Amino acid sequence: MKETNIYKPLRAELIEVIEESPTIKSFVLVPEQEFSFATGQFVELTLNGTGEAPFTPSSSPLVKDRIEITIMKAGYVTEKIHNLKPGEIMGIRGPYGRGYPLDRLYGKEILIVGGGCGFAPLRSLLYNLEAEKDKVRKVTFCYGSKNPAECIYKPYIENLKTIDKFEVHRTVDVADETWAGEVGVATVLLDKVEVNIDDSVAVVCGPPIMMKFGVMKLLEMGYKDRQIYLSMEKNMSCGLGKCGHCMMGEYFVCKDGPVFSYDEIKDQPDIWK
Amino acid sequence: MDKMFVISMTDWQAVLGQFSASYSLFAPVEFNGSQDYELVDKENTGNIIYNHPKPATPVKTFFLPVKENVTVESGIEKPAIIMGVPSCDLAALDILDEMYLQRDYTDIYYKNRRENFILIGYDCRSIVENCHCTSYGLKPYPEKNCDLMLARDRHLVFLQSLSARGAELLKEMGKYADIIKASKDEASEINEKRSEITRLLKDKNKNLPGYELSGKLIKDSPDKIWKSYASTCVSCGACAAICPTCTCFLLIDRPDFEKIRQLDTCQYPGFEKVAAGEDPLGELFVRFRNRYQCKYVWKPLKFKSIACTGCGRCIDTCIGKISKNELLEELASEKNS
Repeated sequence: MKETNIYKPLRAELIEVIEESPTIKSFVLVPEQEFSFATGQFVELTLNGTGEAPFTPSSSPLVKDRIEITIMKAGYVTEKIHNLKPGEIMGIRGPYGRGYPLDRLYGKEILIVGGGCGFAPLRSLLYNLEAEKDKVRKVTFCYGSKNPAECIYKPYIENLKTIDKFEVHRTVDVADETWAGEVGVATVLLDKVEVNIDDSVAVVCGPPIMMKFGVMKLLEMGYKDRQIYLSMEKNMSCGLGKCGHCMMGEYFVCKDGPVFSYDEIKDQPDIWK
Repeated sequence: MDKMFVISMTDWQAVLGQFSASYSLFAPVEFNGSQDYELVDKENTGNIIYNHPKPATPVKTFFLPVKENVTVESGIEKPAIIMGVPSCDLAALDILDEMYLQRDYTDIYYKNRRENFILIGYDCRSIVENCHCTSYGLKPYPEKNCDLMLARDRHLVFLQSLSARGAELLKEMGKYADIIKASKDEASEINEKRSEITRLLKDKNKNLPGYELSGKLIKDSPDKIWKSYASTCVSCGACAAICPTCTCFLLIDRPDFEKIRQLDTCQYPGFEKVAAGEDPLGELFVRFRNRYQCKYVWKPLKFKSIACTGCGRCIDTCIGKISKNELLEELASEKNS
């Protein structure tokens, strides 16, 4: 039981802003005190006097002195965050919720399917898996972006390709002259992957529509409900399982999730909305 | 259970006079044909309403103000006595306590008030139109979550302590008044009145399904009935604002990293909307149904306490004239037909 003030954010200095794509930036923050999180957990980030929004860090959970948060310009708060310059002070609360079930991933063939800014939490997971490579059998990462320019973390992808046991497949919804690879939504990549499904676990993160079709495809491939993990995007406002904004049926996504296995949530209402 | 004590109404007024000086004393007072908690002093203790249900606002609002800055030091508040709390509102504190004191995170503002506010519960000596506490296993008299029980009979006031703090308070009263043990006859008369009100409530709500059954009925219900009942809903959120068990809130940012906790409800459009635009509760009837599902279907899966205590205020207050009880009775009768 925590007796501290659960609503009060820590201060964190913004030390770097990285432009990942025309609509996505990463913000590197140094919190005023050590800040630990498990991969897949999220934080509430406060833009002073303006608003607060939930984000899953995109940096490695093993790095304790700084935290990186990748944000797509999507609404009022995120648009203002995009205008921030290094040196600004932000607020951070958390970490909250239940992250990726690493124990259930180790020793398995891990299939990771990401779309758009959904790569952010997955990069944190990939960092973690990379650092624990000896516990990992095989990681296949399938990533789709709207177009080649919207693909984030390009240098990281190139690096990941060179790592033993890690395999990367990419696609874009709409190609341009720079693109010679696969075209179509992220799920088209699943036809190409070689994976022993019985001994595999899938992790999906992306826009709701992509997660919906991703899950349908995985089920079609033979994955069982309990072998599929999803990071749910809901309106996590307090992060404490109290304010009610992120309720999804019986679950408070902020506290019971945001990572769920598909069998835990498939009967809840409107999971893709 | 502790013994019942009795005090004359004249002495009781003297006690209230003393208490209003050393405590912030709140009690139900009539106003424009309805009653609500007011701060009383020795000049107006005569206006207090006794044992008639129920204050327009639930006691929740003392512990969870509509708006509160939850990042500044919470000032030490003058000790408060809240008198006249009906059993439905006392029982509702169970789920508020679970939500705000337990589940890994404690809200220190709520906790501070729960620890410092003294509650005096009332026996309900009458029922009003939409009361239905007994349908959900509650009694129309205080059983828990309060320090003292109070029942007034003409010129006598009966008191019984329900907590150590209540016993202390009785002792304190002894300084200003003659408090004697109630006789066996007096105590049994109180019990008879309790039984009578319980019987009236049960009789009045004989067609209303119980709490668990309501959950099952709601879970299996078709959209049709919700669309029909929601047709006069205007998403004003009054049902939730006035509900003793609704706990949802919004955090609002202020400069200097301050945050305001403001009570909120799933009945307002956009409550669950995310930045990318998805809105699970976008449709009005879905939003309307959500509050019922939350109380009867989902909360029971995660909480030990009941999420509706049958106060009936949501029905009293609805400007769309939607009756929760009619809806549940209709679900029950459809099931049987």
